[in-house]
Amino acid sequence: MSSHGAFADGSQVGQLARFAVSPARKRKDRIARASILAGTTIALIPLGLIVYYLLHKGLGSWSESFFTTDPTGNTFFGGSNIGGIKSAILGTIEIVALASAIAIPVGIGVAVWLVEYGRNSWFAHTVRFFVDVLTGVPSIVFGLFVYIVLVVGTGSSYAGYKGSIALSLLMLPVVIRSAEVILLLVPAALRESALALGAPRWRVIFNIVLPTALPGMVTGVLLAIARAAGETAPLLFTAAYTHETNFNLGAFMNSLPVQIYNDVTSPTTAVVNRAWGAALTLVTLILLLNLIARLIARRSRLA
Amino acid sequence: MTPDGSTPQVADVDPESRSELARQQQSSADPSPETTSGRITGAAGRSAPMSGNTAAAPANGDAGVAAKPGLGVTLEQLRAFYGDSEQVKGIDLEFRANEVTAIIGPSGCGKSTMVRCINRMHEEIPGARAAGRVLLDKLDIYDPAVDVVAVRRAIGMVFQKPNPFPTMSIYDNVAAGLRLSSGRRGDLHAKVEAALRSAGLWDEVAERLTEPGAGLSGGQQQRLCIARSLAVDPEVILMDEPCSALDPIATLRIEELIDQLKARVTIVIVTHNMQQAARVADRTAFMLDGKLVEAGPTQEIFTNPTDPRTEEYVTGKFG
Amino acid sequence: MPASAESSQAAGTSDGAGGPPHARAHFQQQLKELEANALGGLDLIIEQLDRVLEALEHQDVELAEMVIADDDRVDGRYLEVHQGILSLLALQAPVAGDLRLVAALLHMIKHIERMGDQCVNIAKLIPLSGHEPPVRREMLDALAKMGAFARSEVIQAKAAFAGREVGLAEDLVRQDREINRLNREIFRLAIEIGEDPDTREWAMHMILVARALERIGDNAVDIGEQVAFVVTGLFREFSDSSRPPAV
Repeated sequence: MSSHGAFADGSQVGQLARFAVSPARKRKDRIARASILAGTTIALIPLGLIVYYLLHKGLGSWSESFFTTDPTGNTFFGGSNIGGIKSAILGTIEIVALASAIAIPVGIGVAVWLVEYGRNSWFAHTVRFFVDVLTGVPSIVFGLFVYIVLVVGTGSSYAGYKGSIALSLLMLPVVIRSAEVILLLVPAALRESALALGAPRWRVIFNIVLPTALPGMVTGVLLAIARAAGETAPLLFTAAYTHETNFNLGAFMNSLPVQIYNDVTSPTTAVVNRAWGAALTLVTLILLLNLIARLIARRSRLA
Repeated sequence: MTPDGSTPQVADVDPESRSELARQQQSSADPSPETTSGRITGAAGRSAPMSGNTAAAPANGDAGVAAKPGLGVTLEQLRAFYGDSEQVKGIDLEFRANEVTAIIGPSGCGKSTMVRCINRMHEEIPGARAAGRVLLDKLDIYDPAVDVVAVRRAIGMVFQKPNPFPTMSIYDNVAAGLRLSSGRRGDLHAKVEAALRSAGLWDEVAERLTEPGAGLSGGQQQRLCIARSLAVDPEVILMDEPCSALDPIATLRIEELIDQLKARVTIVIVTHNMQQAARVADRTAFMLDGKLVEAGPTQEIFTNPTDPRTEEYVTGKFG
Repeated sequence: MPASAESSQAAGTSDGAGGPPHARAHFQQQLKELEANALGGLDLIIEQLDRVLEALEHQDVELAEMVIADDDRVDGRYLEVHQGILSLLALQAPVAGDLRLVAALLHMIKHIERMGDQCVNIAKLIPLSGHEPPVRREMLDALAKMGAFARSEVIQAKAAFAGREVGLAEDLVRQDREINRLNREIFRLAIEIGEDPDTREWAMHMILVARALERIGDNAVDIGEQVAFVVTGLFREFSDSSRPPAV
């Protein structure tokens, strides 16, 4: 190959001239690339700043006692004995676990119905429409709904499980949507060949369709969980707040978002720092869930 | 050779077999046709146990499952609709037992639709329905008393694109049909091996039964799908353009396999490849625009067809 | 120019001429050319027959030698058509009517080659009688008549094949009976020809000529049988040659 590349005689004349890239095109290409790069950088800046601030402000609060002691509610005396966020972490885990236990089976069930039975019926379309509407409903509305129905309506007080219910309502449309997408990706040929083997429809769904869709659905579910774990508003009027760790979902329960909410406005610096530490913890938890979701998705044969 | 090749009397099969809906016990050693249709209307999902005989060995040495008299299928005025559109317009056709019948015709003539009516897969499509009678031997499989799941176990299907279940190993794929049923399974391992032998795949996969089914070559995957269908011991196998997605050598191997399999099942093969129909089929039926134009011995269809439209199609003047 | 080879094969076609080109137009073209080639062989035979009959009439030894040399053309045509048939079978896999046509062409070209050989046999017999053979007029007239019938049979066989006319093909039997009758007549004349050794020798040769002409007629009838095979798909002998001849 000559040093002139594709044009052996170094010139760009004759029949092959049309293969050469014009200088004007090259310039436009460079301008476009530069603008896109600039846009991306601008978009990344806030993200970078958030990460930086979280780390900068929150990392300092992390310590062993931070994770192993409950907040004491004692914010006087310069924050010398304010405690950690153990109850918040455990509370989040408990509340979200219950919410998932409600939302996941129901959500997958609805998705299965939509894909396998409802298909294109008008009723299925209606269901899909309302599911879409629900994905856009602000999370505080879910909290208010549960508050009015289960707290004020029944005349009882706040409880962890009521928070779970609110979160599950939040998770439901997300689970349904992502499960439906994944189920639709299962090739029709698979269902056909299972049916042709003489399997009843429910067996086809349980033994063939769901296992094939599983990795993709796990991804969707983990993302729904990650979202629910970070929601504050629904928990404010449902699970409320408490200091001690407890495993009674029928009582008030602490959670990371609510903990942060309460701590951030405190005049005591140490408490505010604790809020940052809690925020970092929350973000880290969500990050971990996302990473796990991604790893599973990579092993999936569908998505 | 299996015991009896007797054809069932009409009285054996009709109302009496329907009353077998209430029967719980099956005779355990008799794979005769009466039991088969009883199986369809009665204890859905109980597979007929394998006969202990071994018949002429298929190409890879050991016996698969015994040759046995298969069942014929007869279509009487079969019509199939997608909504209001009639795709199959009144077909009377006979598929003889233990023979290979090929269905040829131009694209869109309704041959795939017709074949899907035979194992009642057509009705799985929303808005689709069928009319007329489809007789498996003497039993109308569209009769309301008949369990569609049992029909599909007696009439298996192999599709155009090989589709082994992706989450399952080779072994699990072949066993899938047996596991998905709610009846007695018998000796699973023996059945899987027999099915793989009958499909000419045993020698190639015996060492790697736990590997995923999707890791095989195209031709092997299709033979795996055939083994999967064979494992539930059907009487009839429908093949919808089974070699379209395969290379010529794989195609020829499957054609050899079809020739061996007809000793134990009746085979209906839809193909757009006329050379394949000529090589493989005992009888050929030509369809056009949802209607049956001509059906007869393959030799006649390809040397001296009766209908001028058949002549035009096979000589390639249209299609 | 052969008549349309598709007239009886494409009855009732909806995809008629003037519409989009038939699938396999190239193949159909090849088939037509092959048939034209084969039928052209019959034209060669007619030429050879004309010349050899004239040579016989005028005892023209040079003309006879031309006929013998020109048999190469007939053999060449045979090889060409044979090769074309093999090629078509291998590459195009004809079925049904096309397959029957190809099989018929194979038979036909073989019969043509045989007819050519019979013409050569006649031509070879001419110089054997010397330049001034003791001819008998009746025998020569009978032979001329036989030649005319043979010629007409060949022409009719060609027309029957080109037009796929089974009736015309079956009619060949009638003419062939005439040839057979004349053959027996010549045989009788030869037996009664007398004592002269030269004349008897000449008469023996003429018997052989008659036999060659009779064989040409039979070959023409065989071609007619191929016409029926192409059209009906059934092979059937037109006349049973094992029947004792009517006197």
